[in-house]
Amino acid sequence: MPDTPDSLVEVRGLKKWFPVQKGFIERLVTRQRQFVRAVDGINFEIRRGEVFGLAGESGSGKTTTGRLILHLVEPTKGDIIFDDVNLAALSNEEMRRMRQRMQVIFQDPFASMNPRMKCGDAIGHSLEIFDVAKGEEKHRRVLEMMEHVGLTPAHILYDKYPHQLSGGQRQRAVIARALMLHPDLIVADEPIANVDVSVRALLLELMLQLKQDFNLTYLFITHDLATAKYICDRIAIMYLGLICEVGTLEQVYRNPQHPYTQALLAAVPVPDPHARRTAPMPKGEIPSPITPPPGCRFHPRCPVAEEICSQELPPLRPVSGDEGHLVACHLVR
Amino acid sequence: MSEPVLQIRHLSVDYPTRVGVVRGTDDVSLTVYRGEVLGLVGESGCGKSTLGMAILRLLRPPGKIVAGEIVFNGQDLLKLDNEAMRRLRGAHISMIFQDPMTCLNPLQRVSDHMVETIRTHHPEVKEQEAREQATELIDRLGIRAERLDDYPHQLSGGMRQRVMIGLALALNADLIIADEPTTSLDVIVEAQFLDQLKDLQRQFNLTIILITHNIGVVAELADRVAVMYAGKLVELADAFSLFDDPLHPYTRGLLNSVPNISLTEDHLQIMSGAPPDLINPPPGCKFHPRCPRAMERCRVEEPPVKEVQPGHWTACWLYGEQEGHK
Repeated sequence: MPDTPDSLVEVRGLKKWFPVQKGFIERLVTRQRQFVRAVDGINFEIRRGEVFGLAGESGSGKTTTGRLILHLVEPTKGDIIFDDVNLAALSNEEMRRMRQRMQVIFQDPFASMNPRMKCGDAIGHSLEIFDVAKGEEKHRRVLEMMEHVGLTPAHILYDKYPHQLSGGQRQRAVIARALMLHPDLIVADEPIANVDVSVRALLLELMLQLKQDFNLTYLFITHDLATAKYICDRIAIMYLGLICEVGTLEQVYRNPQHPYTQALLAAVPVPDPHARRTAPMPKGEIPSPITPPPGCRFHPRCPVAEEICSQELPPLRPVSGDEGHLVACHLVR
Repeated sequence: MSEPVLQIRHLSVDYPTRVGVVRGTDDVSLTVYRGEVLGLVGESGCGKSTLGMAILRLLRPPGKIVAGEIVFNGQDLLKLDNEAMRRLRGAHISMIFQDPMTCLNPLQRVSDHMVETIRTHHPEVKEQEAREQATELIDRLGIRAERLDDYPHQLSGGMRQRVMIGLALALNADLIIADEPTTSLDVIVEAQFLDQLKDLQRQFNLTIILITHNIGVVAELADRVAVMYAGKLVELADAFSLFDDPLHPYTRGLLNSVPNISLTEDHLQIMSGAPPDLINPPPGCKFHPRCPRAMERCRVEEPPVKEVQPGHWTACWLYGEQEGHK
């Protein structure tokens, strides 16, 4: 992918293979190490100021990709360039400093907040860790941020513990916490998968508003293509550790090229009984990432697969006449 | 309409807690007809799962049915003794839960589950016969016969959920209660599962109560839809009327805030506020604090469920009985 001046994150040839844990005897007998190929060679860039979606089913490698970008797990191979700095070249201390500029929002705010820490203290914790502010100053900044994300009345909620907040409030607290150090990038991993539908719209709106207010760039990881539609500018579809299609939301949703993307979009149930789905679904389920199929990862389930699909891995190539739209399929010319 | 299989009348369930009593479902009346798929939707805490569990009398203590009747095939389930109720579960009413992994015994093979289910209710059936029935059943569900000897962890999520339907079908239950059956499944597997459920439903004329928060799944499968809010039934209609012409302001808000994949709609409507605290619910209509059209009456008097159009019921003061609206 060409270097563009406005790229904030660039991912090059990224791989993460997790070794499979085996029993002692089994290891002696088989003598073969096995790996889960969670991410198996992907390239993409996230441009400054955009919402980049990473979508796929469970086991597609989308969450691992997010963790790799944050350097929470070491890549097996490949590079992550964050604002022109190769993260692999950084020392631990330099990486720690760099993390101020990239923050994360997880799916389950209950699990990502310390149950014994007051909401306000949790939000302001990073200010102390990075020696930015403490005491009165910290308190003031936290209250300001809480107001900003709609955690009001802030001075009352400041002293609440996570279990005393509602689901929507907890998710706001996690968002406030991520923003305290004014990061450039927010990795949001299924940030609204756990909240009820009436609260979902509210949180999406908030995330878009905050993006404007704080000049943020989002990596939005989701399995829900319907939700992705409301927030993403560009989107990459992952299947079994690889990207099979990438483009602007319009390009991918209006004109999906990869048979997997087509199936995925068709599978989303539409809230309209007049639009009941008639398209048949691909058979089977996502195969094991330990022994992925050869050639195109999707070929065993693909309705239009040809011989070449089982032999050669299709590269991610531009769709002709549709700039910025890339697809990894032998059958798309 | 066909004959009623299940009639729920004025059912209320209480959960006493240290800080007060939570009314999980509040005076809910609902009839389920043979051969229909009734979608039961609402957000978490609205009482939809409580209703499902109450039908089977499987409410976890301290949850307790405090009022009402549940009439199934002519008999009031609340009057049955425990033994009679036990016989009825599985054989006449079965349940499919959200997470099949926690419902299947990890130490039992698929075949053991099937054989046990069949032989518990029909002890006269020999083990070999039960096994044959099981083989036939899973074959129909698109699972190869050799998988019968697998343990649950060896199956994929979609297969486990199909085994759950298999168990529900093993005894030809009259009524299947499916509580969030696709929530743990990925979208393509969910679509496969819904296709299968649709086929089986037609083939066997199954009666299904489909409990879910996923409005898309309900639109895909349900014949009629009941909407619950804060323990109350707020609207009930056939799927087309409900989606085309929702009457209750909550239903409207809910439908408008559902993300839709179609690119023509690009804005989600936002419903203000959050569902109420059920220990101190608001007086009058429970939705009035969030309702854009709330009137004085809504704050003081609780609206009854009325048939506003033929077959279209709602609990809202905006509508009179059997007359025009809007």
